[in-house]
Amino acid sequence: MFRPQEMTRTLLIGAKQDLEHTIELLHTLEVVHIIDFTTAEADEHLTLGAPTTKASGVSQNLLKVRSSAQMLSLNPEKQTISEKLSEKQIQHDISLKIQDMELSVLSLMETKTRLEEHFRKLDERIRQVEPFATMDLPLEDYQGYDHLSVFTGYVRDLKKLTENIPTITQEYELFFSDADDQMIALFIIKKHTEDASKLLNDCGFTEVKLPEGTGLPKQFIEKWTEQKKELSEKLVQTTKDILEFRKRYAEFILASEEYLAIEVQKAEAPVLFGTTEHSFMIDCWVPTHEIQHVTETLEKEMNGSLYIQQIESKHDDEPPTLLKNSKPVRRFEYLLELYSIPNYRDIDPSFILSLIFPLFFGLMIGDIGYGILLILFGILFMKLFKDSEGFTNIGWYIIIAGIFSSIFGLFLFGDMFGLPFMLAHGAEGETAYTWSTLLGIHIPIPSVIHKMESLGMTQLLVISIIAGYLHLGLGLLIGVLVERKHDKKHAITKIGLLFVLTALALLIFVMADWTIGQWLKPLKDTTIAPALWGTFIPLVKSGFSFGGLLVPYVSMVFGILGIILIIIVAGGFGLVEVLEVTSHLMSYTRLAAICVAKAAMAFAFNMIGLGLILSGNIIIGILGVILLIFMQLMVFALGALSSGIQAVRLHYVEFFMKFYKGEGLRFNPFGYKRKYTTTK
Amino acid sequence: MAAETGIIAIGAGIAIGSAALATAWAQKTIGAAAVGAAAENEKMFGKGLIYMVLPETIVLFGLVIAFLLWTKM
Repeated sequence: MFRPQEMTRTLLIGAKQDLEHTIELLHTLEVVHIIDFTTAEADEHLTLGAPTTKASGVSQNLLKVRSSAQMLSLNPEKQTISEKLSEKQIQHDISLKIQDMELSVLSLMETKTRLEEHFRKLDERIRQVEPFATMDLPLEDYQGYDHLSVFTGYVRDLKKLTENIPTITQEYELFFSDADDQMIALFIIKKHTEDASKLLNDCGFTEVKLPEGTGLPKQFIEKWTEQKKELSEKLVQTTKDILEFRKRYAEFILASEEYLAIEVQKAEAPVLFGTTEHSFMIDCWVPTHEIQHVTETLEKEMNGSLYIQQIESKHDDEPPTLLKNSKPVRRFEYLLELYSIPNYRDIDPSFILSLIFPLFFGLMIGDIGYGILLILFGILFMKLFKDSEGFTNIGWYIIIAGIFSSIFGLFLFGDMFGLPFMLAHGAEGETAYTWSTLLGIHIPIPSVIHKMESLGMTQLLVISIIAGYLHLGLGLLIGVLVERKHDKKHAITKIGLLFVLTALALLIFVMADWTIGQWLKPLKDTTIAPALWGTFIPLVKSGFSFGGLLVPYVSMVFGILGIILIIIVAGGFGLVEVLEVTSHLMSYTRLAAICVAKAAMAFAFNMIGLGLILSGNIIIGILGVILLIFMQLMVFALGALSSGIQAVRLHYVEFFMKFYKGEGLRFNPFGYKRKYTTTK
Repeated sequence: MAAETGIIAIGAGIAIGSAALATAWAQKTIGAAAVGAAAENEKMFGKGLIYMVLPETIVLFGLVIAFLLWTKM
């Protein structure tokens, strides 16, 4: 639970004729992480392996299937099929079907492209001829004159043109369309070309090029529109054909894509191995608890022709990491890996993360109303994004945080949507609303801690510091455990830091004497009371006054001891870590800060919203309800977002820095996660 | 007494306000760089987030001081 799966390094050596069989076996076992044989390790005897002979054929087929899949827009990752196809069946079909399928897809696609192309060309032609259709002149009449210049195009100011042309010459003819677009055709004696073009420019002329061909433009358009209609019918049919084809072949394409991908993987596996002329060597990591099974299977299936040797792992080996956690905890591995994949020698903090992350998250929200909203939101999130592993995991975190938030809201803070169930004191905040006064029934859920009072704020700060002390202390302890073997210096520094941390925490507890004293009250009648009040508390409290601050002797001793330890082991530079641990402890006050900030925001919005609702005026009341819902949602969204990020941060920065190294290598067993095929 | 309380309140306000400004300033730069890094390489997301939230401790110092002042009011 706290350690990644133990790995054993194993060497498999065999004769080359057994290579394919070995690969086949390893592929089905799916528990062997092969260490890539690099050219750096090669020498005159041992060289990098080459893909098997069938590799290129299989790759080609895979390429064909993939291109067909792409043309039919089939995405293997997003499809589901009713029944998995057996490998034997695919093997049987593949050589026949692939050729056929590829040709059919190609011809279908070609037909479609051709039709589309033709359609587009007709469209283009119609667009060219269209302007001329408004004037009843055949196309051949626009050209072929020796003494005439012809202008065709649009003008902005037709009136100006008609008025001014006669001032240039009388020998002209002007046609224009009846439609609004002011298309004109101007025929004018050639020697006046320059003047005419100047005038046209002044009237905002844009030329339209004369299309090729002879005849009346209207007739062209009629003919082409007819052709377009036929084409679009054909196109619809072709699209239908393609869909039909896609439906018929989808299963085969998906399954054969997977089958071929697996075949390629197997065929190319030898490039991971070292080989000599007649033998091969596979260097790999196997989870230790699987080693017996692997060895037995290989020996039985290969009749002992494979040499299997376990080698002792060296210090600089980097075994891959395979975490072993129960299912609910496994979801938190995602959050851990977002930071970094654990190192093989790291302690796996997933379990701690799965407890404390939602605890902090929930504490910061600490409200039963938002808690229930969180749970619902989390469920919705998991439903909406059930295809994405990351998002479903986040949904899961939100649900657990919601549960914690509800518990805190019910038993500690006694509030729902920022409103307390009842007022405890009555004196403070008399004007404030509570659920009891609003609903007119007494709800006996007290607020143990009032977020909006100065005392409550102090209590929350003390809780934050306690949480920080325990969390950081745990981190440092784990750090000591991890480092004690390979880096004694670091381990001792961490012990020193633990002392300093204790000194700081004690100092703060004594400062918050009254708050803590109240919490200890229930212990008054227990058997540990004499020890607690007789020895422990006086011991902690005895100290000297420094600038109005009581510094307990115990705290002094711990602090000095810690600093001396650090200086001895790490030198003066180690004192930086003392500063760091101090600021890390303070950093946990964000728990209180966000808790209170969110509550204050909700409180203010509730005052505004409820004030409007209870104003007596119906319209203002309805507006108030809408406004209040909107504002509450805003508090919820902001609160959930910041609490989540801050809870993550407290782990990533404060906690992990004490022991976590990360940068591990993910255990990646040789094999394939089959989705569309079975080996049966 | 009232004047003194007012001065303390202003002090608390300055404490948290200026600390928050400092945090925002620091986060602006880091955030932009972190998003850039994450866009190039998704694995940087975790690290980017850490760098991004580091300056938040500054505002907490401001908050604690403001709170200590507030209890003196």
